[in-house]
Amino acid sequence: MRMLVPAILVLLSLLVAPATGPTFAAPARDTLVYVADISDMISLDPAVAYEFSGILVAQNAYDTLVAFEGEDLTTLKPRLAQSWKITDAGSTWKVTFTLRQGVKFSTGRPLTAKAVAFSFDRVIGLNKSPAFLFKDVAGLKEGDTKALNDRTVEVTLPKTASPQAFLSVLTFTVGAVVDPDEAMAHATGGDRGEAWLRNHSAGTGPYVLERWDSESRAVLAANANYWGAKPKVSRVVIQHVPESSTQKFMVESGDADIAANLTPEQARELTGKADVKVQKGRLLQLVYVGMNAKHAPLDKVQVREAIRWSIDYDGIVRSLLRGEARKVQTIIPEGLFGFNASAPFQANVARAKALLAEAGLPNGFSTELLVPTGPAPGGVRWADVAAKIQSDLAKSGIKVTIKETAQAQLLNIYRAQKGQLVMILWGPDFPDPDGNVTPFTDYAAKSIAWRNQYEDATAAKLAKQAALEPDPAKRKALYKELTDRILHQGPYVILYQPTTRFALRKSVQGFVWNPMAFAEFKTVSK
Amino acid sequence: MSRYILGRIASMGLVLLGVSVLTFFIAHVVPADPVLVALGEHARDDQIEAYRKAYGLDRPVPIQFVTYLGRLARGDLGVSIRTRRPVADDLGEFMPATVELGGAAWLVALLLGIPAGILSAVYKDRIFDHLSRLGALAGASLPVFWLGLVLLGIFYYRLQWFPGPGRFDIVLSPPQVRSGLLVVDAALARDGAALRNALGHLALPALTLGLFSTAVIARMTRSAMLEVLYQDYVRTARAKGLQERRVIVLHALKNAMIPTMTIIGISFGSLLSGAVLTETIFAWPGLGRYATASAVSLDFPAVMGVTLVVALLYTVVNLLVDLIYARLDPRVRYG
Repeated sequence: MRMLVPAILVLLSLLVAPATGPTFAAPARDTLVYVADISDMISLDPAVAYEFSGILVAQNAYDTLVAFEGEDLTTLKPRLAQSWKITDAGSTWKVTFTLRQGVKFSTGRPLTAKAVAFSFDRVIGLNKSPAFLFKDVAGLKEGDTKALNDRTVEVTLPKTASPQAFLSVLTFTVGAVVDPDEAMAHATGGDRGEAWLRNHSAGTGPYVLERWDSESRAVLAANANYWGAKPKVSRVVIQHVPESSTQKFMVESGDADIAANLTPEQARELTGKADVKVQKGRLLQLVYVGMNAKHAPLDKVQVREAIRWSIDYDGIVRSLLRGEARKVQTIIPEGLFGFNASAPFQANVARAKALLAEAGLPNGFSTELLVPTGPAPGGVRWADVAAKIQSDLAKSGIKVTIKETAQAQLLNIYRAQKGQLVMILWGPDFPDPDGNVTPFTDYAAKSIAWRNQYEDATAAKLAKQAALEPDPAKRKALYKELTDRILHQGPYVILYQPTTRFALRKSVQGFVWNPMAFAEFKTVSK
Repeated sequence: MSRYILGRIASMGLVLLGVSVLTFFIAHVVPADPVLVALGEHARDDQIEAYRKAYGLDRPVPIQFVTYLGRLARGDLGVSIRTRRPVADDLGEFMPATVELGGAAWLVALLLGIPAGILSAVYKDRIFDHLSRLGALAGASLPVFWLGLVLLGIFYYRLQWFPGPGRFDIVLSPPQVRSGLLVVDAALARDGAALRNALGHLALPALTLGLFSTAVIARMTRSAMLEVLYQDYVRTARAKGLQERRVIVLHALKNAMIPTMTIIGISFGSLLSGAVLTETIFAWPGLGRYATASAVSLDFPAVMGVTLVVALLYTVVNLLVDLIYARLDPRVRYG
């Protein structure tokens, strides 16, 4: 007993002691603290990273030949390549890049055309998650990228690949240029430096990776050899904070400058606070309901059209999502080249009933809606969106049974073509309309059209034609024709395009969210 | 005694085997595909097949299990499907944070729970007893998730007495890693500022995690003490004219600790399960977060690894508790 009281006092003093000293430092003016759930970070090697947080880091440590800047994903901007041209070489496409002069890697070595060829071949050779963008989308093999001289790179693409889509792919981390000497100096067992680049960087980007502690933080420091304007903050700490309430506390107390995963309610609570502001970010995801086109009565175009005319889209966006989304009804999201703003559908029970009667179903029918568990993009639960659809469809006489299933299990059913109505989301793999159009329209691509058993030879042909069209004006016209066709013929109810939101300290300026789900910290100041 | 311990170690092996069989087969009857979770919705069939082959998931489950056991016998826990690193490396990285948090929470539970239980029993039905019982009721019934957020909201956000989430200040560099336990590393490095920083970060999560066990231990100590305090030998001790403090500490407490020890052992399990939520709220990079992320992504090798390590810890703790019984109670003899 004599020992217990002092022991308690010691414990309590240990607990309270830290509060009395200035040990806990607030972030300095030249350090930006970005809090987010980064549990998906598994590698920071641009040839391997294919997760949101890994891409966020790699996009800031590496440069690509071309880039989309800020929110605009329609205008390609020069980055490491000063200029580029696409030429029709008969049986192939040749894409030739002229590199910017005077660019150095963070290691101090100069950027050369050979480094570009090495980096592209490395992606294909390592064959990790993002490799399909080169191998399948662009049809590239090792050796197809050649250094013509120190500053000229030539990429040979097969005629089956779209040069425009290839350029879009190049804006993504898979197109990052890695210092070959640095990578190979750390190579083990033929891994071309993969193990080392998992938690080190060797790029030309505005930042270098200072450290990465798994499930804890990644720290970026300004690259002293950066070729462009010096970044405004010299250190960026990307701190892992999985719980959004904790993120909110941190940004409110000034321990974090930007919080990335707030719920819509939390963002609303912050509105009007003196030190914090809320900023929206666009996403390229589409939340949609797929309708199995071979499952009666969904095989009838009128029935699918009746479903589209039954849903109260504005209600979903305004009431359910409280404006955290945009009403989009075509298969290319807003922000991508070829976006078609046409949104004719709204809740019209009379029209839906008439269409059902035309299909021989005047009394409606019963069907099953498969939805994932957990939260949907935009901050509501999937089940809540499903309940709204259920009540909307009931008004037209369509009786829906909601089946809530874990996403992994739902995908098993969906991929096996066994769904009736399936609610899920889709985001393109690369910022080009083909990243959505081929999956949504080409049955042979074994993606979304296949899962919904939608075989439309005309749509598939148009998709291929649009993908390969090098002239932007003609390409745009082809996408207009195709998206208009799918809008009414296709097996999809596109519900909405969600937005995301960030809480920022008032002093933070220049933060722009790229809809491909990353931000370039070099423009941010505080 | 040593024969007893050897026997127990052998039975621990059987327990671990049983746990691995159960976990393995439960994990494999889940009607979802870990490969799809790992590769995402966009994966093509050939990619899925290649992945399945690379991780041996294309073979029948019993063969997968035998292969797993064979590797396990060589100390190989396999490669995580999610992080694509050896599970042993992952465990080595995340384990120390949880050991530090769990250890601190256990300390909180012991240092608060046992004295509170004793004082409650000694001052039965007085104001301290009522307050302590109320506290114990609250501690046992408040959800960890809620408690963590409230503590964070009050002591970090409002009063700013404690630092924010994580194990160390965001803008500072933690001490050089030796043991992985930041408090220990800071102490070894004789870095007072780092020690205060690490302790400050540890306080709220340790309190959050430890409060449930504190409550359970306090209640158990109280009831055990009450039972003992009315025993004849205690009355005899008092009749002999011993000081009340000596009666309580030397005579009553030692016997009251026997049932309490069981609870202390069991509370280790609740600390591990509570660690998942505590680590989420306080952004604590530990095993709990790793286990959750692995389970959600159906990462079998990682789930197996975590389960085996936790089962091993649990059995070791239970063995230690049993050995302590023998020290406390002369009637208990092993061997």
